[in-house]
Amino acid sequence: MPNMLWLQGGACSGNTMSFLNAEEPSACDLVTDFGINVLWHPSLGLELGENLQKMLNGLVSGEIPLDIFVFEGSVVNAPNGTGQWNRFAGRAMKDWVSDLCKVAGYVVAVGDCATWGGIPATAPNPSDSQGLQFLKRSHGGYLGTGYTSKAGLPVINVPGCPAHPDWITQIVVAVATGRGGELTLDEFQRPKTFFTSFTQTGCTRNMHFAYKVSATEFGQRKGCLFYDLGCRGPMTHSPCNRILWNRQSSKTRAGMPCMGCTEPEFPFFDLAPGTVFKTQTVMGVPKDMPTGVDKSGYIKLTAAAKAASPRWAEEDIFVV
Amino acid sequence: MSDMMDAGLVTQTEPFPETEKEFAGLLNELRALDPDDLEGKMVVSGFVNHPYGPDEARCLECMYYLVHRQWCDLPELAVPVEANWWCRLWRI
Repeated sequence: MPNMLWLQGGACSGNTMSFLNAEEPSACDLVTDFGINVLWHPSLGLELGENLQKMLNGLVSGEIPLDIFVFEGSVVNAPNGTGQWNRFAGRAMKDWVSDLCKVAGYVVAVGDCATWGGIPATAPNPSDSQGLQFLKRSHGGYLGTGYTSKAGLPVINVPGCPAHPDWITQIVVAVATGRGGELTLDEFQRPKTFFTSFTQTGCTRNMHFAYKVSATEFGQRKGCLFYDLGCRGPMTHSPCNRILWNRQSSKTRAGMPCMGCTEPEFPFFDLAPGTVFKTQTVMGVPKDMPTGVDKSGYIKLTAAAKAASPRWAEEDIFVV
Repeated sequence: MSDMMDAGLVTQTEPFPETEKEFAGLLNELRALDPDDLEGKMVVSGFVNHPYGPDEARCLECMYYLVHRQWCDLPELAVPVEANWWCRLWRI
């Protein structure tokens, strides 16, 4: 029975909430169907005070095997590298992280804060936050570039703000059932099975993207959100339109631009007012092109696509 | 609109709004106009009845242009336009 421990650093608990909403498999399935022993979790753990300290010390000493260490939230180093702004069970959380990562079979970073620092690490980063093995795009983070867990893998990054519930539980099940070695990770240590395709893959607005018809206001069901409303779906790696949220929908399907939350730079544009839901342009051309597309090709494609667009592309085809 | 431009209506084609703030500033100017003030909309948005700039940009490529309706779908403008026209709210 593999032991799993879930701790939370500088976080909003969003990934905990997400995890508890998982469906395929659910958090309960982890225990009942896959035999995972959830040693402790911020919302499910029973032990408190000395009992919790005793368990954590038992894990650090090796008395209790730690098969899967899941970490949510950033590693807080402030003030002055002590980490005392984020204390847990009698010491700085970052010290627990150091010790537990040394003995863990697998380490899974869940959410943007644990993967690359997320919003807490956005400049000026007052809490001196880092992700476990990245700080934004820079490899290293708190554990350093050379870190591998006892199973020989680096930190497995499951980003998102929050990560989709089923991304979390499916990765936990994979490592708990001995299939961790089958995981292939991309350059940011994200499982390729989830993070090779784009958010745009499967988006119901793809027809409007193809024919260059823009949504110009929130709530429109016609039009693509990329052209004017800041959608980052064409350059964000995630399966949000393949593995739907709540099994029902996705941001872009519901008319909400993708904010690129599975990429290391999130939040883009450093939360400057007026930049989040507005496509950034240079002389009217998007600053960030769909991945792999250059400016001249984009302009030619646009002219051809618009000239060839059918009449229905300008109409609302999702009639209630 | 075509008649007004043929008659020599002078519009503000420059400066091109390079930043989102400048773009939003033009939208605010348009919102302050009477919705029926067509000439005012044309002047503020810098309409011309031909392609414009080194790239010969046209309404045809603009994201707000609806080809079949020959219509500018930018809510602050919402006017009939020709594919070969241009204005400084052009975005692709």
